[in-house]
Amino acid sequence: MEMATTTDTDQVNSTWTKADQKAARKRSAALHRKEHAWAAAFMAPPVIGWVAFLLFPMAFSIYASLTNWNGIGNMTFIGFDNYTRLVQDPYFWKALWNTIFYMIGIPIGLAISLALALALSRKIRGRTFFRTVYYIPVISSLAAIAILWQWAYNGDFGLVNQVLALVGIDGPNWLQDPNWAKPALIIMAVWKGLGYSTLLYLAAVQAVPRSLYEAASLDGASGWKKFTKITWPMVQPVTFFLVVTNIIAGSMIFTEINIMTPTGGPSWSTASLVWYVWNQAFRNLQMGYATAMALVLGILVLIVTAIQFRINRANDFSID
Amino acid sequence: MRKFKAAAITATMVGALTLAACSSNGSSGDASEEPDTSGGTGANELTFMFRGGDYDKLAYQAAIDAFEEETGASVKMIITDADQYATKLQAAIAGNKVPDVFYIEPGKMMGYVYADVLADLTDYVEQDVIDNIWSFGTDAYRFNTETGERGNSADALYGLPKDVGPFGFGFNKALFDELGVEYPSLDEPMTFDEFVAKAKELTTDRDGDGEMDTFGTGLNVTWNSQAFVWGAGADWISEDQKTVTVDTPEFAEALQWFADLGLVEGVTPTATQAQSLDTYQRWMQGDLGFFPVAPWDIATYNAKHEENPDGFDYEVIPYPVANEGDDWSTWLGSLGIAVSENSQNKELAAQLATYLSTDLEAQKILAENKVQIPNLIDYATGEWIETDAPAAGWPANTEIFLQIAEEKGRPLPGVWTYTPEWYDNFWIGIENVVDNGSQTAADFVAGKQTEMQMLLDQSWISADQAKAQG
Repeated sequence: MEMATTTDTDQVNSTWTKADQKAARKRSAALHRKEHAWAAAFMAPPVIGWVAFLLFPMAFSIYASLTNWNGIGNMTFIGFDNYTRLVQDPYFWKALWNTIFYMIGIPIGLAISLALALALSRKIRGRTFFRTVYYIPVISSLAAIAILWQWAYNGDFGLVNQVLALVGIDGPNWLQDPNWAKPALIIMAVWKGLGYSTLLYLAAVQAVPRSLYEAASLDGASGWKKFTKITWPMVQPVTFFLVVTNIIAGSMIFTEINIMTPTGGPSWSTASLVWYVWNQAFRNLQMGYATAMALVLGILVLIVTAIQFRINRANDFSID
Repeated sequence: MRKFKAAAITATMVGALTLAACSSNGSSGDASEEPDTSGGTGANELTFMFRGGDYDKLAYQAAIDAFEEETGASVKMIITDADQYATKLQAAIAGNKVPDVFYIEPGKMMGYVYADVLADLTDYVEQDVIDNIWSFGTDAYRFNTETGERGNSADALYGLPKDVGPFGFGFNKALFDELGVEYPSLDEPMTFDEFVAKAKELTTDRDGDGEMDTFGTGLNVTWNSQAFVWGAGADWISEDQKTVTVDTPEFAEALQWFADLGLVEGVTPTATQAQSLDTYQRWMQGDLGFFPVAPWDIATYNAKHEENPDGFDYEVIPYPVANEGDDWSTWLGSLGIAVSENSQNKELAAQLATYLSTDLEAQKILAENKVQIPNLIDYATGEWIETDAPAAGWPANTEIFLQIAEEKGRPLPGVWTYTPEWYDNFWIGIENVVDNGSQTAADFVAGKQTEMQMLLDQSWISADQAKAQG
């Protein structure tokens, strides 16, 4: 049967003249050109958008960071002076340190989210209610939440200290104390982000094949073993996604700081790098310098993210 | 290839989010909804960009109607949210879409002048018009581009005042009556000692639970310490705006005295108490004896008085001074109305700015609604103070506001320098002096002097650079 088919094809090919083949190639090329044109047309909007709204602004930012520019007048090229200044600027380092400090909230938030996801994946009463409750902060206005937490953190009558007082703890004056202002903001950020992380973890946990747990049970695995050997590896892609996006988002923390501690907090203990960038750019007319700081922040986040991608690839696995 | 793709995705993601961080201030907005701020292109077309409340809009609509009728011009009004105005204006300037007429903060004027954004209005505004505006109101928008000096009446005029905002002081007559404390003089300033003595009398435990319920005062250091520091003969900066002067003994003493109001005398709520119920709310509840009173507060304070006449009834007085016979002063704010250097109808735009600043009907609307005191001296010191102000419900001693506008008012430190960074730096760590007392004022100011001076020097260098590069 196969032989016959081959012979037929040969016969057909042999009946084609060179002219026929050339015409066919021409038709094919024309068809491809048309397809390519359509493909280009479909691809053009995002590519143009990428060039206009990302590549060009980034290139412009790089140039602006090498200039003395107040954001309204002309730019003067000054080489790497802004970067030299940045290295010597104690407030840049302080703001960078504060920003890094805020990242402590990421592992804490992920651990709580995973625990909540595991709890909510079980058949407990009020499961839907809890899922909704945990998700409400995610869709709430950050500005409104910041104001509410500002009240909650009040040293005397704030909800947080009242709850602590119930268990005999004399809470600090959170937002007025340089040692507690950052942790206060971290707690709020963790609370705000819980719903989103929990939702993703919940989907990941529910996607783990039951058969793996059944097999582990038959082998006598403990609950902890099941968690460390099955659940944790299986939700790793979600963990990776959350860590990457949380670090990027965490590096941009601004709104809550600007509302809850508008002058950078006691002894400048809450000023984040983006808050400092904003102040330099729009209050102190140092747009060139602010751009240099923003770029350094972007590069740092890029490096951290690249490292995370690398680590994630090394730990990658698949189930056959 | 895979590595390249991963790197590209990472870079794109980081870049996009970083840019998003810089572009967003927690609010969303559709670019397509942004109004076109460009100046008018037709012979009689003007664009006016400003911020403010309903009364500003009402007043300016009246002024603009009159202006359009008189000149045949067509004015497009663009109103923005107050908190977004500065960034929107900066974006409009960077995008070369500068409105013909717009509000400007005096603190940002130097940069705008050097960048050729603001038109010199000197030749467009007649001298008799200028003479009838509070001199601070025009001097705040004068600038010598050669020397960098501000506030000299002989220099070029780059704006007219939308308003002048006297930051006055006041007391709650109802609390004084309740506690049997004698009113302070309405004309003469108290000395610091007299002020503390009265504040102590006003600090009481009403319900006997051991906690103080009323306090002499409760003043935010960032906005209220200026008048006391000036009242002690000290200042943040030298007259030529080149030297930081916070390390003088009189400055340290004044700041320590201010801190001791709470730390030693106990006549203010503590930082923690103020956080639970801030001092503004305590004042409104009738629990503070002394508190700032400014024109923009009047409508709210009047409403509070109507609601609670026995607990809240205020009057305006001079700020205290260190010693008897010292001159008192306080800060005077302003917002300006400027004209674009590139306006195609510059003369008409200057005429509109003059209208907005000095139109009598507009001024009457703004003053009647307690938005501001009038800019016009003849009206403010005549018909307004005699009949219109009392009829509209301004306090009996409103004369104090006029005194501040005329002679007692000063700009906030930092407003007349190229950038206010040096002045902002002063407040970093101030809680150690005023809230917890872990640092003395003398140590604090000694530590601040060098850093603030360095930032002030940098401000002048930046000004020179802006001047050179345009």
